Amino acid sequence: MTRPLILVLAAIVLLPIAVRPAIATEIWIFAIFGLGLNLLLGYTGLLSFGQSTFFGSAAYVAGWLLKHYGINVFFALGVGLGVGALSALVVGYLCVQRSGLYFIMLTFALNQLFYFVAYQWTSVTGGEDGMPGIPRPAFLGIDFSNPINYYVFVCAIFLLFLLLMKRIVESPLGKILIAIRENEIRAGAVGFHVPRFKLLAFVIGGAFSGVAGVLYAMLFGIVPLESISFVTSGNVVFATLIGGSGSLYGPLIGSVVFIWLSESMSNVWARWPLLLGVAFVIVVLFFRGGVVEAWNRLALKSPKWFPK
Amino acid sequence: MGQMKRRDILKAGVGAAALGFPALIRAQPKEVVILGLWDQTGAFADVGPLNDRGMRMALEERGMKVLGKPIKYVTRDGATQAGTSTRRTEEAIDGEGARFVIGPWSSGVALAVSEVAKRKKVVHLFSGGTEDISGARCHRYSFQWAASPYTAAKTVVDNFMKANPKAKRWHLLVADYAFGWSVEKYIKEVGKSHGLEFVGADRHPLGEREFSNYVQKAAANRPDAVAMINFGGDAVAGAREIFNFGLTPKVPLIMSWSSGVEELVQLAPEIRDNLWVGTNFYYTADTPAAKAFVKAYQAQHKLPPGYAPSAAYSMTRMLLAGFDKAKSDDVQAVVKALEGLEMNDIVGPMKVDGSTHQTLRPYFFLRCKPKSAMKHELDFADVIATGNTPLPKEYAACKDIGSF
Amino acid sequence: MLYALMGLGLSLITGILNIPNFAHGALFAVGAYLLATVAGFLGNFWLGLLIAPIGVAFLGLIIEYAGVRRLYAAGHDYQLLFTFGLALILSEGIILVWGPVGFSHLPPPVLRGGLDLGFTFYPKYRLFVMLAAGFLVLLTWLFLEKTRYGAIMRAGIENKEMVSLLGIDIHRLFTVAFALGAYLAGIAGALTAPIRGLSPGMGVDMLGIAFVVVALGGLGNLLGAIAAGVLIGVAQAIVAAYWIEASTAVIFAVMALVLLVRPQGLFGIR
Repeated sequence: MTRPLILVLAAIVLLPIAVRPAIATEIWIFAIFGLGLNLLLGYTGLLSFGQSTFFGSAAYVAGWLLKHYGINVFFALGVGLGVGALSALVVGYLCVQRSGLYFIMLTFALNQLFYFVAYQWTSVTGGEDGMPGIPRPAFLGIDFSNPINYYVFVCAIFLLFLLLMKRIVESPLGKILIAIRENEIRAGAVGFHVPRFKLLAFVIGGAFSGVAGVLYAMLFGIVPLESISFVTSGNVVFATLIGGSGSLYGPLIGSVVFIWLSESMSNVWARWPLLLGVAFVIVVLFFRGGVVEAWNRLALKSPKWFPK
Repeated sequence: MGQMKRRDILKAGVGAAALGFPALIRAQPKEVVILGLWDQTGAFADVGPLNDRGMRMALEERGMKVLGKPIKYVTRDGATQAGTSTRRTEEAIDGEGARFVIGPWSSGVALAVSEVAKRKKVVHLFSGGTEDISGARCHRYSFQWAASPYTAAKTVVDNFMKANPKAKRWHLLVADYAFGWSVEKYIKEVGKSHGLEFVGADRHPLGEREFSNYVQKAAANRPDAVAMINFGGDAVAGAREIFNFGLTPKVPLIMSWSSGVEELVQLAPEIRDNLWVGTNFYYTADTPAAKAFVKAYQAQHKLPPGYAPSAAYSMTRMLLAGFDKAKSDDVQAVVKALEGLEMNDIVGPMKVDGSTHQTLRPYFFLRCKPKSAMKHELDFADVIATGNTPLPKEYAACKDIGSF
Repeated sequence: MLYALMGLGLSLITGILNIPNFAHGALFAVGAYLLATVAGFLGNFWLGLLIAPIGVAFLGLIIEYAGVRRLYAAGHDYQLLFTFGLALILSEGIILVWGPVGFSHLPPPVLRGGLDLGFTFYPKYRLFVMLAAGFLVLLTWLFLEKTRYGAIMRAGIENKEMVSLLGIDIHRLFTVAFALGAYLAGIAGALTAPIRGLSPGMGVDMLGIAFVVVALGGLGNLLGAIAAGVLIGVAQAIVAAYWIEASTAVIFAVMALVLLVRPQGLFGIR
C-alpha cells in the first residue's frame, strides 16, 4: 500500500471526528464525483462544464426506482453507474469533436437542456421542489438510515472507486489520455483514435458521476433540482482545481477543502461566498496546481515539516 | 435513544465507533436548541436576514429562556435550495441537537425540510404559500403559520371585486412551484362565484427577472386586471415591468401573496399606483401585539417589518407559547400543545387547527396609495379589508394528520 | 439589442484575450448599481449613464492589470476559476455596499410609460434602450473598423504573435480590450437598471446569455456577436409567444444546435 492511500484511510477515520457525519459523507461522495471529472480535466485535458448532467440524471433515475420500486442499494448504484455512463456517452459523443472554449460551452449548453427537462418534468422530478422521499434501504440487515453505517458504506464505495481510478490512470489507457492532453495531434499521429479515447474518458467519468449522484440522493433523501444545475457542474470543477487537477489525489483534497470550507464559513459569515471568491483568486494567482502544488512547493523548502 | 445509538455503533464496527461521538457530546439536554433555517444566499438571499431579525426579537423578548431553561438559537443558511437546506437541517439536528426548526422561506424547499422533520421527529414551523404542509403532505410534526391559500384567494378576490366590480377579465402571472399552483387554483375557484374570466395564466420560473415577454403577452390580452401570484424579487420585477409597459396605473395590478413592506419599498411610488396587495401581515395592523412589535422593530431598523420578519417573529412566539402550554420541551408534548393552540398575536386572533396543522387567522388586503396621499416615505398602503374564511372541508387534502 | 451589447463586450474579451470571462455578468451588475448611485446622488440620469460605465471600465482596467494579465499562459480551467472567483467577490461586494435587498430606479420622466402600437404595448424606455444600444454597437463597430487602434485590435484577434512582432505593445492592447469589454458590460448594466431594477444576482442571468451570444456569433467575431444578440432576442420573443416556460431554455437549445452543426458559430470563420 502506498503512502497516499494510508493518508486517505487515516482521513476517512479522522474526518467524522472533525466534522459531522453528514458532511463527512458528502465529502467522500463529492470526491467520487471529482475523481470522475479529473479523468477528463486533469488527465485528458478536457474541461467539462456539464458534469452535473450525469450526476443529476443518475440521481433522478435511481432515486425514482428506489422510491417507487424499493430496489436495493447495490442495484441502485448499478443503475446510477449505467445512467451516468449512458448519458455521458450521448453528451460525450456530441462534444468530443469540439475543442477549447467551444467544448466548454457545448457541455454547458447540454447541461442546461438536461436541467430544463428536469425542471419541466414535474410529475417525475418534482421540478423546483425536488424529488423527495428517497429511502436508504437496509441491506443484509445493515441499517443504512443510521448515519455512521451509511458513512462506512460510502467510504467503502469511495475506496473501491479510488482504487479503480488508480488502476485506470496507471494503465496504458491513462498514459494515452495524458498523451492526448500533452499533444493531441501527436497522439493522433502515433495512431490513436483520439476522439474515441476522449469518449471513453467521458463515459468513465460519467459512470463515476452517476454513482456519486445516487449516493448523494440517498444521503439527503431527496434529489434536488440543483443536483443537475450548472452550479453543481461548476462546484466540482472548482473543487478539483483547488485540490489540484494534475494528480490522482487532487480531487479528494479539493472536495475536503471545498465542502468543509463552504460549510464552516457559511455558519460564520453570511457573506461567505466572498471568501470563497478570494480563495479562488489566490489559488489561481499563487498556487496554480492547487493544494497538491502548494504542498509540493513547501516540501521543497522544508521537507521535515511537509513530507512528500 | 442513547441505547439505540450504542447498539448501532457496535454494528458498524469498532473502527467506526469513534465517529458517532461528537454528535452525542455536542447535544446538551439542558438547553432548548431551536434552529432558524433562513436563506442568506440564493433566490431569497434578501429575505433571510429579515427572518433572522424577527426570530431573534421573539427570543430576546423572553430573555433567551423558556421554562427556565436557556434557549440556544442556531441559524443556518438554507441557500434557497432543497439539497442545501435539508443537509444543513439534518446537520443541525444531529450535531447541535436542535429539536425545533423554524423556516425556511421558500415553500418548495420547506416541503423538503418538512420531510426531514418527519423522519427526524422534530417540530417544524413554517410560513409560506404551499398548502401541502397542512394538506396533501401533512404530518404530525410540521405546522403552517401563513393563512391558507384559500383564505388568501378569497380575501383578495372578494375584496378586489367589491372595489372594482367591472374588472372581470383577469390575466394571471404565476410562479411555477408549489406555492404558485396552490394560490392559482383557489383564485380561479373563488373567481367563479364572481363570474371572472381568466384570459391568460402564464407560469414563470422562480427567480425570473426578465418579464418583458410575459408582460407583452399579458398586455396583448387586454385584461381588466392583472394578478400576480409570485413572491419577493419575482413580484418586484414583474410589477416594475408591468409599469414600464404602461399597464399600471391604467390597469389595476394585484399582488395576491405579497411580503408587504419588503416588496413595496423596492417599488417606486409611481409603480405602486393602482396596486392592490394581499399579504399575511402589514405593519399598520390594528392589534396590540403588532403595535408593540412594530415599535420595537422600527426602533432597531428604520424600516417597518414586512411579512418576513413578522412571520419569523410570530412563529417563534407560537412555538414558545407551545412550550408554555405543554410545560415541557419534549417534542411530542409540544406538538400536542400546538394542536388547538389559540393566541392573540400580531395578525389578530389565531388558532391552530389540530387536524390539519393549519393556522386559522386573518389575511390582509391593501390598497396602495398614490404618491400625493402618502403621509411619509413608508406610508405605502391602507389595509382595506381582512378575511379569515377557512378552507372549506371539501378541499381539505389533509385527511389524516397521522401519529408520531 | 442589449444582448448584442453584452455579447459584443464579452466577444472582445474572449476574442482578443482568449479568456472565458465569468465576471462579465458581475461587471454588468456593478454598472447598474453605479448608475443608480451616481444618478441618485446627482439627481441626473444622463450624467449617471455617462459616468457609471467609465467606472466599470476603470474596474476592468484594474482587474486586467492585477490579475488577468498573469493568466494568458494558463489553461482555460484556471482562467475560469479566477474569473468566477472575481464574480463572487464582486456580487458579494455589491451586497456589502448596497445591501441584499434590491430596489428600483425609475427611467427619467420623459421616457416613462408605454406606447400603444395598436397590436401591442411597448414601453418608451425600452425603445430608448434599443436605440441607445444600437448606437453604441455602431460606435464600437466604427471604432474597430475605421480607426487605427481598432484595426490593431482586430489584428490581435487574428494573430497575436504577428501583432506583437510588429512592435505593438500587446499587453497594452489586452488591457484596453478588457477595459473596453468591461465598459460595454457596464453601460449595458446601466441601461438595464430602470428596466429590471437592481438586485445583487442580476448579473447571473445576463452572463449565460452573453456566452450564448458569443458562441453563436463565433468567438472573436464581433459582427457575428451583434447579429447573434439580435437573433437571440427575437428567437426568445417568438418562443415566448407560444411556449413561455421554454423562453430561457430555448437560447441554450439554439446554442447547442449551432455548436453541433457549425462549431465555429453561425458567423465564425475559424
